Amino acid sequence: MIKQTLSNDKPVMSVIVEKWEECFETYCYKIKLPVKIQSAKPGQFIMLWVPREDEYPICIAGLKDSILEVGIAKMGPGTEAMHKKEVGDLVGIRGIYGKPFTPPEDVNHLLIGGGFGMTPLKLLTEVLVANENKQTIHVFEGARSKNRLMYYEWLQDFHDQGKINFHVCTDDGSLGYQGFPTIDLEKFLQESETSSVIYAAGPEKMMKVIFDIGKNYPKVVDMQMSLADRYMRCGFGACAYCAVDPTGWRICVDGPVFNTEKLEQISDFGVYKRLETGEKKRI
Amino acid sequence: MIMSLATKIGNVTIRNPMILASGVLGTTYSTLNRMYEAGLGAVITKSIGAKSRAGNPNPSVFALNEIRSVINSVGLANPGYQIFREDIEILMKNSTPTIVSIFGENKEEFKEVLEGLKDLPVLAFELNFSCPNTEMGGAQIGTDPDLVYKIVKELRVKTKTPLWVKLTPNVSDVIEIASAAVKGGCDTLVAINTLKAMVIDIHTKQPILGFKKGGLSGAAIKPVGIRYVYDLYEHFGDEIPLIGVGGIFKGEDIIEYLLAGATAVEIGTSLGVAYPENMVRFFQMKIKKYMKEQQIDSIGEITGGAHK
Repeated sequence: MIKQTLSNDKPVMSVIVEKWEECFETYCYKIKLPVKIQSAKPGQFIMLWVPREDEYPICIAGLKDSILEVGIAKMGPGTEAMHKKEVGDLVGIRGIYGKPFTPPEDVNHLLIGGGFGMTPLKLLTEVLVANENKQTIHVFEGARSKNRLMYYEWLQDFHDQGKINFHVCTDDGSLGYQGFPTIDLEKFLQESETSSVIYAAGPEKMMKVIFDIGKNYPKVVDMQMSLADRYMRCGFGACAYCAVDPTGWRICVDGPVFNTEKLEQISDFGVYKRLETGEKKRI
Repeated sequence: MIMSLATKIGNVTIRNPMILASGVLGTTYSTLNRMYEAGLGAVITKSIGAKSRAGNPNPSVFALNEIRSVINSVGLANPGYQIFREDIEILMKNSTPTIVSIFGENKEEFKEVLEGLKDLPVLAFELNFSCPNTEMGGAQIGTDPDLVYKIVKELRVKTKTPLWVKLTPNVSDVIEIASAAVKGGCDTLVAINTLKAMVIDIHTKQPILGFKKGGLSGAAIKPVGIRYVYDLYEHFGDEIPLIGVGGIFKGEDIIEYLLAGATAVEIGTSLGVAYPENMVRFFQMKIKKYMKEQQIDSIGEITGGAHK
């Protein structure tokens, strides 16, 4: 009997059907799930088991008709082990976990991220573009240099079709303007006269900077940020290794996406994360 | 009729018999506070040792849906008592009734942790003699009655704070181990810890847990826990309070443990979910409903009912 959905259970063994080098030290994969599943919401994640090596949370970049797409940047031995996996190899998937981004209607959607943070933003872009309501979508992506930009061609293609406004920058100026994505974000906010929502994913320190900028603009009616870059063991709310102080919210089930109101209450946001021991470490 | 859920465990009184079990939501003061505010009677920290430990590699926790259970091999990951002390201090400031679970690789380490924390006004120390997820000194302490006796005895003279002993089900004679703990001077017996367990993926032919082997918690172990509590009550009667733990997923399970002989219960796996507050509310409602139906004024009256 084929299971009808993916659930919080032991890893479901799934086969890699496509692999490509997306950018420097970053591979993307399409993985065929042996269960019937239509879609996932942007911001949600799965736990990826690389047999004999490691298991960790990975945000969903796409999910359609039981084909899961993920992007894996080199972050340590666990991700390097995944980079060695090829088409035909098996990996374990459990999930789907977490609370997603919840875009409201009738606002400017401002997506900003860098590195591995681009994966949930890819799915969010896809969902927003598919929405029939006329909305303005801006994607701000930054990287150290042009060979590190994730989904550059995919996003540029949407830009050329007039579906999104793609703002690209690099630290070294090798592509787009030189500097951080926050420069264009602020430029937009200064000029815009309508309400905006900021969505961010990526390194927490960067998101804290974006959060502090966003607070200066009353036209930013909400900010939704994914704090998925945390050490997790279970992914479903039991172990609390991803919990944040002082609220006791677990990133895996109470997040990973939090809105402005909640982010204001998390004193750990952009400041501390927890190690495997449970000890807090300055970010 | 005024119903009272207040529960007396030896000299310790808590507002109801539901205690957060060690190992779930106990890594930081904030989740522990949250669970107390959710309505539990008290909370127990993750097991704390002398030194910082990273525990075992992932996968280290996953669910087994078919049997509503969880297997884990976290392996006593903790920051060490010196660092975790700060979290306990915040809990004390918040007046959260807290039990600190402690472990050691040997007697000396148990002593060191207790000495380092005994000045804090915690409700009790729970001695974790029974974690199946490490390879410390060969056999687990909790399977050796001599060692259990010696450690409890030595810790007993060092503090007036109640000492609870958490028993492992992975022994052939739990009464022998429990008797050693009682003889050593412990105040309360807690049964049971996780059952030794393992899951193998048939496609890759690999054990799934990073540590290969683990411990099982959740609904599958409830009948085992009930049996241990029943056996302990049969042997000790009212001589020592018992706390039942293992597989509580609904209010009825709590009543069942109390009837088997428990004074209170610890709940872990079923609270490791997206909305633990709802679970606590359901437990509470069910207990009250049962008490009303059975015309019971005080929850303590239920204890041991299955032995009468």
